[in-house]
Order: sequence, then C-alpha cells, then structure tokens
Amino acid sequence: MNRRNKDNAGAVVGGLLMLLLMAVLTSHSSAQSNPQLLFDRANEKLQAGQYQEALADYKKLVTGREVSGSLFLNMAISYVELDSLGMAKYYFLKARQFEETEERAEAGLEFVNSQFARQSAVLPKLPWEQAVNWLGEQIGSAALLGIGIFLLNAGIIGYVITWFIPYREKLIRITGLSTAILGLLIVLTSFYVHYVDQRYSRAVMVHREAAVMEKPASEGPVISRAYEGYTFTIDHKRSGNEAGWCYIRMSNGVYGWIRKDDIRIL
Amino acid sequence: MIRTGKVVRRLWPLFLIVFAFTPRSAAQNVEVEATVSETQIYTGERVSLSVRISGNFKEVQRPDLSDIDGFSFLNSSPSVSRQYSIINGNASYNYSYSYILVAQQTGDYRIPPIAVTVDGEIYRTDPIEVSVINRSTSPDPKPDPRDDIFLKLEVSDEQPVTGQQLITNLTLYFKSGIEVRSYQLVPGWKAEGFWKEELISKERPQSESVILDGVRFRKARLLQYALFPTKSGELTISPFEIVVSVRKTRSFDDPLSSFFSGFGSNEQRVNLLTDPVTIDVEGLPPISDASTVGAVGSFNFERSLNTRTAMVGETIEISTTIKGSGNIPLISKPDYELPQGLEIYDPQENTSINRDNQRISGTKTYTDIVIPRKPGNYSIPEEKLVYFNPASGRYVTETLPPLNFSVRRNPDADITSPASLSFDIKPVTGLATWIQPEDRPLTARWWFWAGILLPAIIIGVAYRQKIYRDRMRSDRSFARSEQAGQHAEERLQQAIRYSDQEKIKEAYNSLHKALTGFIGDKLDLPEAGLSDHQYLSELDSRGVDSETIRKIRMLLNKSATISYAPDVSHDYLKSHVGLAEEMINQLKEEL
Repeated sequence: MNRRNKDNAGAVVGGLLMLLLMAVLTSHSSAQSNPQLLFDRANEKLQAGQYQEALADYKKLVTGREVSGSLFLNMAISYVELDSLGMAKYYFLKARQFEETEERAEAGLEFVNSQFARQSAVLPKLPWEQAVNWLGEQIGSAALLGIGIFLLNAGIIGYVITWFIPYREKLIRITGLSTAILGLLIVLTSFYVHYVDQRYSRAVMVHREAAVMEKPASEGPVISRAYEGYTFTIDHKRSGNEAGWCYIRMSNGVYGWIRKDDIRIL
Repeated sequence: MIRTGKVVRRLWPLFLIVFAFTPRSAAQNVEVEATVSETQIYTGERVSLSVRISGNFKEVQRPDLSDIDGFSFLNSSPSVSRQYSIINGNASYNYSYSYILVAQQTGDYRIPPIAVTVDGEIYRTDPIEVSVINRSTSPDPKPDPRDDIFLKLEVSDEQPVTGQQLITNLTLYFKSGIEVRSYQLVPGWKAEGFWKEELISKERPQSESVILDGVRFRKARLLQYALFPTKSGELTISPFEIVVSVRKTRSFDDPLSSFFSGFGSNEQRVNLLTDPVTIDVEGLPPISDASTVGAVGSFNFERSLNTRTAMVGETIEISTTIKGSGNIPLISKPDYELPQGLEIYDPQENTSINRDNQRISGTKTYTDIVIPRKPGNYSIPEEKLVYFNPASGRYVTETLPPLNFSVRRNPDADITSPASLSFDIKPVTGLATWIQPEDRPLTARWWFWAGILLPAIIIGVAYRQKIYRDRMRSDRSFARSEQAGQHAEERLQQAIRYSDQEKIKEAYNSLHKALTGFIGDKLDLPEAGLSDHQYLSELDSRGVDSETIRKIRMLLNKSATISYAPDVSHDYLKSHVGLAEEMINQLKEEL
C-alpha cells in the first residue's frame, strides 16, 4: 500500500515536472517565434523605469530575425534615460529608417543632437554623392531596379510596335527608344546605388572621445579627435583587411582610422 | 617742362639714408666657411684647406692664417678663385682661398677659427677637427672584410627616447679608384615603428676621405632622414637599397681593390643594401602634474584668443602655437578645461615643417573653435604644458596664462535655443510591425532576370515577325509559296460547296485548281498556261515521291474527265477532296 502511494506520488511529481518543462519550453519558443511577447514585456519594464532590464530584453530581439522601428525607438528612449546619448542617437537613426517611427525618431534626434557639447563641423558632400545617398535612402536600389526594368520593357515594346502599326511611327519610336534608354540608365544607377549602399555605411560615435588615426594602429599620428554623437561614413572595402579598425570619413571631410569598438555601424 | 628741383631737394636725405645703409645690409648676407679635403690622414700626407667667402660684398682681405699645430704650409700664398653671379637681380661673389697643408705629427688637431675681413667686418669660420695617423702604427689593412663599396645607415643616437628626433644618414663608402657615376633609390623603404621625414639638402652630395680599420675610403652622404620612434622597445630600421652606377678608374695605389676584377666592362650597376640597424628606444618618464602633448625636442608654447568680446552665437577661436624643433608632426592637441556654456567644434590644425638645416623644425597651430550659447564672462584656466628635452634628459614645463573673454546677448537672436528642447517622446507600446531585414543582392531577385530577359525575347520574336512580314510584301514567290496551302484549302472547300449545290463539274474544276494552284505557288510556276503534264514533270524533277505523283495524276485526270461521268455522287467527290488534301500535305513536307 505504501509502495503504491509512493509510486503514485512519483508519477504526480514526474507529471508536474513534465508540465513545468513544457511550459518553460513553450514560453521560450513562443517568445522566440513571436517577438511581440518579449517586446511587450520589455515595454512594461521601460514604463516602470527599469531601463537596463528593458534594454536587456530589447537586445534579445535585436539579435533575432525580425526587427521593428518601434523596437529601435524604445531602445533609443531607454538610452536617453540612461544618459548614453551616443547609443541613443544610433538607435534613433535606426528607427528613422522605418515609416512608422520616422517622425518620432526625427524629434528624438533633434533633442539628442542638442545635448552634445561638441559638434562636428560639416563639409557638404558632393552633389553626386548627395544624389546617390538620396536615391538609396528615399527610393531604395530594389525599387529603382523595378522602375528601370519596367521602363526598359515599356520602351522596347513601344519601339517594337512601330514595326507593325504605322501610327505616328516616328514619335512612338523616339519615345520608346528614349524610355528604354532611360530605363537602362535607371537599372545601372540602381546597381551603383546598391554598390554604394553595400560599400559605405553610416556610423555613430558612442564613446565619449576617440582618436582618429592616420593608420590603423594605436601608436602613430592622430589626425583628429571624435566625440560622442559624431557621425561618420564607413568604407567597408578599405576597412576589410584591418581587424578592429574602420576607415572613416568624418563629417568635416577628414579621412582616417578609428577603432571599431568606439562606433556603432548602422 | 617738368620742374623737379624741389622734389629732389626734399628727397635727397632719403636717398642718403638708403645708400648709407645698403652696404651694411648687404654685408649681412656674407657667409664664410672653411673646409678640409680629408679629416683623417697619415703623417706626411697633404690636405687641402679651403676658405670660401660668398655673398654680396665689396672688399675682402686674404684670410689671416697663423701656424696650425701639427701641420706645415706647402706654400705660403694660396690659390684664389673668384666667381661673380647675378641671381634675380642680386649680385653675389664667391671667393675661395685654397692652401695645401702637410701633416707633420700624429695626433688629433684642431684647425682654429680663421678670421676673414669682409667690408671692414671680421668673420670667423668654425674650427675643424683633423686626426693624423702614423701609417706604420695604423692597423694592418689586410685582410679587409669590407667590400670595395658599401652603404650604411648612420643614426645620430642609438639609445633615444620615444619621439626623439634621430638624424639618420644614408652614407655611401667606396675605396679610391672607384668612381660613382650616379645612384638611384629603390622605392619601398619602410621604417616600421618610426615616423620619418626626409631632410632637404641644397647641395649635391660631397665626398670626403675617412680611414676605416687602416683602409682609406671616401664617403658621401646621399640622403638624410629625421626618424621619430613612435614606441618604446627594441626597434629595427629595415635595410635601405640603392642602385649605384660605378666605374673603376686606373689607380695603381689601390692594390686591394678587386671588386671589378674579371669584368669586361669598366662601368657597372651595383645593388647596395644597408645592414638593418637596431635601436633601443626608452619610453618617456611618467609625469603627473602637467599635461603632455607628446612633444619631444625644444619647443615654445603660446596661446591666444582672436577676440576678448563677442556676442552669443559668435565664433571664438583659441589658437595654440607650438614652435621649435623636434617631433612637430607627432604633437597632439592640448586639451583645455573649457567653461560650461560653450559649444565646441572640431579644432583646426595647421602644420608648417621646415626640413632644412639637417633637422625637422617648424610650427604647429591648433585652433579650437567655440561658440558661446549664454552671455557672461568666461575664463579658460591657466594650463601647464610640458615637453621632453632629450638634450637635458628631463621635462620642461611651459605655463600658458589664463584667457578671459566676455559674451553679451545678441539682440537679433531667437529667444529659444536648441539646448532648451525638452525630451517628451513617448515609447511605442502595443502591436508593432515586425519585418525581416532583407539584404539580398539585386541579381538574386527572380523578377530581375525576367525583366532583363523579356525585352530580349520581345525583340527576337518581333524582329523575326518583321522580317517575315517584309519578305511577304517584297518577295512575291515567297508570298505565293507561303500562301499556297491556304489557297488550296479554300479551293477544296469551294469544291465541296459546289458539290452540295450539285455542281459536280465546277466542283472538280475547283479541285483541279486547288492541286495545280498549290503546285504552281509552291514551285513559283506561271499561274496559267501550263498543262497537267508540265505540273507533274516539275514535281518529278523536284524529286517528289512517285506514288504521290501517281495519285496527283489520277486526281488531275479524274477532274479532267469527270464531265463525261454521268453518276458522280457527293461522297465520291468528298473522297477525292480528302485525297487531294492528303496529297497537298504530302507535298508540303516534300517541297
């Protein structure tokens, strides 16, 4: 009798353990599969003023497959509350890339930029560089490629039609040819924009201060100094061979090397 | 007539002053220099002592040479050479007095400063050290492990501190009897661990005589660098390579030289490489009570403001000037404790380096740019900057006095400023939009390939169609051939319709036309005037199967003789139409 009771108790405990294990696994897998759950939990911590804890949860989401403008915006807000303005600027810039959070991220950036004591002088980029950046950010290389291919096809169809339908032949032929050439140029431009997008990235200085070196080494001539909140353009191609260092163009037009640990690449 | 008398009378004191000062100012450009042909010689050997006076002067007296210890004069009067040149309108004289001295006794001697009177003023040359060696007691020159010509890196100090300026000479040594025609640097020399600057020499390399281990060499400094160690520890200067074009001259007093023996040609190109030079670099001693900018050498620090009063929003520049000789390129910007309320921008840096005079000197200026955002009195506190002087082996502290300036309110400025912004951005809660970042290459999208291939397909198909259309319009026989089947089909259908109307004769006539028309169109035969036999002969000549020809003949004969057949049913005709269709299809394949 006692033995039977013990067996029953063991079965109950085993069942409970199994249920507990299943519950843990289920919650873990559901958090992974549904980022909204973890996001909601982190938001509760953020609203409760537990900024470090909230950030710990947000960071788990950042490493996942899915991201969100809201996630980056809330991370930026957490960093503002922790007075880590460089990181805040980094995440505001990331949140600005999403339509749903663009407006709030802009306001956040305006605030964060006003808090930095040191401001970098800005040497305007060349018009061609500005145009390429604008195309990459506002339209995107894939959308450009789609537009280019559509125009290319439309132009070629228009041109070919004149072989069979003699209606305003010259006008349609010139229009078709022009449209096809324009489409081809847009296709080529989209590839250039994609190349520039892949080769160059923006980065934000997240530490208080760092030296910009002439060569990728700690000892050597210092070209300039960078301070928290400075933004740079990273050249991935030139940076590729130097582990731990990035080749950058500062906003004031100065080129040099900076430690990868001092910056966050967008 | 222009009267100039009064003007001249008023200006003549000015002319007087100008002329009175001209010789004095011109005499200030005079340079006097003494050189000897060799600084190491054997007893009894001759050495040439030259005193050179150059510059803009009017009168020069022969140098005042008294007896020189250890030497005797071979002749009492020197040989004199004079040159006169005008460069950019400035006249210049070059006088050279050359004496021949004979070494009398062994020992180290000093040729004292030689006095030369130029335009009434006395100039003195620098003293020259000369070493006289006894040939009999000098080291035995055999065996000599050195090459007849070699290259050497000579560093001014082999135990420097970090940042110290090291003058490094690239010196070529060669034995007498070898004539150096030219040299060419092999690019790619790297001095890892050093910042290097090439020093400028205005003169061409001059050779002088030296005795190395009892063997006389001539040496010439080809290049000069200033090297600055950027880290402490044992650093190695990598070998420097040059290509020298040399020629062996006939020298009977150089029996040891065998470098070129065995060569057919007298002039050769030789690659020379220096030995690596290892230097033990000490770190700078620690310092705590002042800020260092990494300066090593001899410097002077200054700090100034471009204005003492400004309005809110106006730019104020804090200039720090570091002047002197040493590691100017490696000096970093001094950091100041700037008061609150200033917006600080990237500093500007301006470096001016002088590479003359066998050392690096110059000026480095940092300009801090600040913009005051609040009115008030500002003070940048006193700053102590230090540099390390390798000559004395200790730090030298320079104190920059405090800088004060006042800022007043700008009446035209907006009331609000960016710093007054408040942070009132609320976090996003609730349902968020989640996306998977996509970073695929453009060519990985299926619609890219579809969109690129489609125009090619459209053009290919349309062009083919266009060619066909154009040929149909322009090539009548081609058009007949292409349309033959269609016409034959129409005629056969017409034959069936005639049969339905019980017009048998017309029906067979259509069948006949369908066959002959098809053959005529396909073979581009005349549309009329040919007999059935001719059509069949054409088919036979084109190699059409004889069974097909036989059936066609039967159909043609039937069509010609059907008028005489009284009872021909509709089905009978349809069987002939079917046979005709079969024959036409057969001909389509064969023709």
